[in-house]
Amino acid sequence: MLSKVKSFGLKGIEGYPIDIEADVGNGLPHFEIVGLADTAIKEAKERVRSAIKNSAFEYPTKRITINLAPADIKKEGALYDLAMAVAILSCNSEYKIKNEDKFVYIGELSFDGSVKPVRGVLPLLISARELGYKNIIIPLGNKEEASYITNINVYGVKSLRQTISFLCGEEELEPIKSCEYSSLQNNDDYDGLDFANVKGQAMAKRALEIAAAGGHNLLMVGPPGSGKSMLAKCFPSILPDMTFEEALEVTKIHSIAGELDLKKGIVSTRPFRSPHHTASTVSLTGGGANAKPGEISLADNGVLFLDEFPEYSRQTIETLRQPLEDGVITVARSNATITYPANFTLIASMNPCPCGYRGSKDRECHCPPSKINRYLAKLSGPIMDRIDIHIEVDNVTYEQLRSEEKEESSKEIRQRVNKARALQAERFKNSKNFCNAKMSVAQTKRYCKLDSMGEAMLENSFNSLKLSARAHERILKVARTIADLEGCQNIEARHIAEAISYRNLDRKLWKE
Amino acid sequence: MKLEDDFKSFLVFLSMFDNTYLKNQQIIDSLGEDVSLKHFCKSKFDGILTKENLDKMKERADINRINNYYNNMLDSDIVLLTKFDKDYPEKLRDLPDAPFFLFCRGDLSLLNEKALAVVGTRKPTNYGRVVTNRIVGDVAREGVVIVSGLAYGVDSIAHRKCLEVGGKTIAVLGAGLNEIYPAEHISLAEEIAKKGLLVSEYSPNKKATKYSFPQRNRIIAGLSDGVLITEANIKSGTIHTKDYALDYGKNIYSVPGNIDSPLSELTNDIIKSSQAQLVTKASDILVDYNIVKGESGIKKAEKSLNYQLSIEESAIVNLLKDGMKEIDFLAKNSGLSISDLNSNLTMLEIRGIISRLPGSIVSLN
Repeated sequence: MLSKVKSFGLKGIEGYPIDIEADVGNGLPHFEIVGLADTAIKEAKERVRSAIKNSAFEYPTKRITINLAPADIKKEGALYDLAMAVAILSCNSEYKIKNEDKFVYIGELSFDGSVKPVRGVLPLLISARELGYKNIIIPLGNKEEASYITNINVYGVKSLRQTISFLCGEEELEPIKSCEYSSLQNNDDYDGLDFANVKGQAMAKRALEIAAAGGHNLLMVGPPGSGKSMLAKCFPSILPDMTFEEALEVTKIHSIAGELDLKKGIVSTRPFRSPHHTASTVSLTGGGANAKPGEISLADNGVLFLDEFPEYSRQTIETLRQPLEDGVITVARSNATITYPANFTLIASMNPCPCGYRGSKDRECHCPPSKINRYLAKLSGPIMDRIDIHIEVDNVTYEQLRSEEKEESSKEIRQRVNKARALQAERFKNSKNFCNAKMSVAQTKRYCKLDSMGEAMLENSFNSLKLSARAHERILKVARTIADLEGCQNIEARHIAEAISYRNLDRKLWKE
Repeated sequence: MKLEDDFKSFLVFLSMFDNTYLKNQQIIDSLGEDVSLKHFCKSKFDGILTKENLDKMKERADINRINNYYNNMLDSDIVLLTKFDKDYPEKLRDLPDAPFFLFCRGDLSLLNEKALAVVGTRKPTNYGRVVTNRIVGDVAREGVVIVSGLAYGVDSIAHRKCLEVGGKTIAVLGAGLNEIYPAEHISLAEEIAKKGLLVSEYSPNKKATKYSFPQRNRIIAGLSDGVLITEANIKSGTIHTKDYALDYGKNIYSVPGNIDSPLSELTNDIIKSSQAQLVTKASDILVDYNIVKGESGIKKAEKSLNYQLSIEESAIVNLLKDGMKEIDFLAKNSGLSISDLNSNLTMLEIRGIISRLPGSIVSLN
C-alpha cells in the first residue's frame, strides 16, 4: 500500500513543501527513511513506532519505507514525525482515514503518542499560506504562534490519536481563532526598564531619544558603573511600536532559533540582544552546518548591545560592517546559503581607556598614553563610520540618585519618537529604507538641505573643532532627525549645532 | 652635492656615530691642524676611543659612503649644524654641554628668536589641558617661539595650540629626525617641520633610547629664554628640564595647582622653594620678556571676555566663570533644555570661547 501526505521543511526563514510518501509492503519487518534525512529524522522511526503502538493503533509488521521528496534537499529536525505516522496509518484501510492528503502535518511525536511543539511553526505557516495550502495541522503547543495567521485553517492537535479521529471524522476540531495584534500593543512589557527609573543622565537620554527616532547607531563612552548598560537596556522601551509586519519578521527568526516564548506566540516588543564579548563571530553572524540565525538576526528590528565594544575581537567587529550597511546578513555554509534580515540598531559601550577612569572625577587613570591610543585604535575607521552618535556618560552623583525629581517616562519619550518616525515614514514612503540613519548619499543630499546659516555653522565647526571628514554625513543625518523630533521641515543651524555635540570621539582634545 | 675630504666632510662623518659631545671634541682636538679622513684613519685615539669603536668608525671612513649619507639627509630636507657653523644658535654655543651637532628640519631662524619652553606631564588633568592651552595661546600670539619635546600630554598640547593660533614652535626630539617618537605624532611633526622647526642632536636614523630623552631636555632648556611648567608630578622627567634651566640661568615659570593634586606637586614645590616664578596668566611671562609693558599693555594682551553673547550663551558662560563644570550641572542650572544646551555649547565651542574635555566637562578657554 502506498500513501502520500504533505509536510513543510525550513530553508532559512522560508518554508518549502515536502511530500512524505509511505510504502508499506510485504517483506521482513523493517523501517527505512530515504531522502537526505539528518539524524533527528532517522531516529524518527523509533518515535513513530512507539507513538503508533502506544496510541492503541496496530503497527504494521511489514516492510515500511518512507521517502521525503524532493530527495535532493537536506532535511533536518523532528517536525516530520506526525506526517510519517499519518502516512503509515493511512496505508491501513481498517482505520478509514479520509482526506489525509488535504492537510499539511507538522509536529514531533512523543513515545506516548502526544504531539510536541516544534521550532519554526510561524515561518512555515506563512510560507504555506503563500503557496496556497489551506489546511494545516500543527502541535497544540504552537497554537499561539498560529493565531496571528489569517485566511487559512490551522488545527492544533494534542496527540496522534486525536489527529486520526479528526481525519476519520470521529472528532470535530475548530480551527485556531486568529487574534488581533493590536491587543498586544501598548502592553508595556519592559520589566521595569523605564527611563523614569534612570536618574540624571539628561545628555545620554537625549542622545538615545535621537538614536531611537532616527534609527541611528550609538556609542557610549564612560567609566565603569556610570550606567551605560542600564541606559542601553532601557533603550528598547523608547523605540517606536513594532508594526505587525515587523513583529512577524522578528517572530519568524526567533521561531527558527527556538527562542520564541510559546505562551505568547509572537514577539511584540523589540528584541534586545547583548552577546558577551567572548562570543564567537559565528554566534553573532549566524552559521553552523545549517546556517542558523545569529545574534544580529535575532536583534532584527531591535537593539544589538555590545558592551565593552573594544574587547570584542577585531574580526567580530568587522563582520558587523555589511549588516550595518545593508540590513541583511548572508550566511554561506556547506549545506545552505541563506540571507537573514539583520536590521538592528547598534548600541555600543566602552570605557574611555583600558583602566576605565580617564577623565573621571572620582579616580585617577593609570594608563600610559600609548596604551590609551592603542585601545581607541581598536575601533577601526569603517566601523566608526557607521556609528552616528557618540556620547560620554559619567557617574551620577549621590544627590542626583537621591533626588525626588520626577524623570520623564519612556512612554512620553516614545510618543515623540513615534511622531518623528511618522514623518520619516511619509518621507521615505517610496523607498526601501524607513529611517534617517539609512539614507543614501543621494537622499541625504535631497532631504538634508541647509540654509546659509547652517552651512556656515558646519564649515566653521569643521575648521575650529577639527572634525574628521567622515563626520560630515553623520552630522547631517542626525540633524535631520533632531529637526524631525521638533517637527521642523528645514534643518536649522541649531539642529546642526546639536548634532555636532554628539561627535565626542572626533574632538581633538579627547585624543590628547 | 659632493663633499671633498676636508674639515666639513669630516664633521659630517663624525655626525654619523652619535658620540657624546665630549668625545667628539676630543677626537677633533687630537687630530690637531689636519682634520681629515685620511689623518683620522692613520691616527690612534688611545684613551678616547676603544679599539672596537675605532675599527667600526674606520670601516665607514669612506668618502663615497659619507656622500651618500649626506645626500640622503639633504633629500629629507635635513640641515646639519655643527658648533663650528655660524648658524649654530648663540644660545647653545656657550653651554658647557652644548650639543656638537644639531640636525634641523624647518625654519632655522627660529633658533635665535625669543622662546619659551613649555613642558610638563604626559598625562595632564583637564586643569592642565586648559591652563596649557590658555597660556600657550596668549604667549604664542605675541610672537614668542614655543619650544617643547613632541611628547604626549603637555608637550603636544603646547605644539598644537601654538600652531592653531599661527605661532612658531620648535620640537626637540629624543631620537633621529626620521624616527619620530611617539609614532602617533608623526603628522604633528610634519606640520611643525612645515611651519616651525624640528631639532635633534641625533643622527637621522637613530632610534630613541631611555637616555636620549633626559638629554634632549637640556636642549629644550638651552634653546629657550624661560621654561614654563604647567603640570608635572614629582617623578616627572620635567624635573630634568627644570634642573638644566636652573644650571643655564633661565627663568622658570610654574603654574600652581591644588595641593592635593599629584600632578601639581612639582609645580607647587618649585614655587615654594623659590626656584620658579608663580604665573597665573600669559602676561606674567610677557612682562618678563619685555614684550608688554605697563598696565595698559597687560590689559591689551589679556583676552577680555567681552564677546557678543546671546542670552542662552551668557547663561552658560556665567556658570563657567568660577571653573569648569559638568554638562549635567549646566543642564540643571542654566535653565535650558538639553537640546538647547547642546546646540549652544557647540556654538560657543566653535567660537573658541569654551572647550569640551574628557568626562563631559566644559571649561572656559
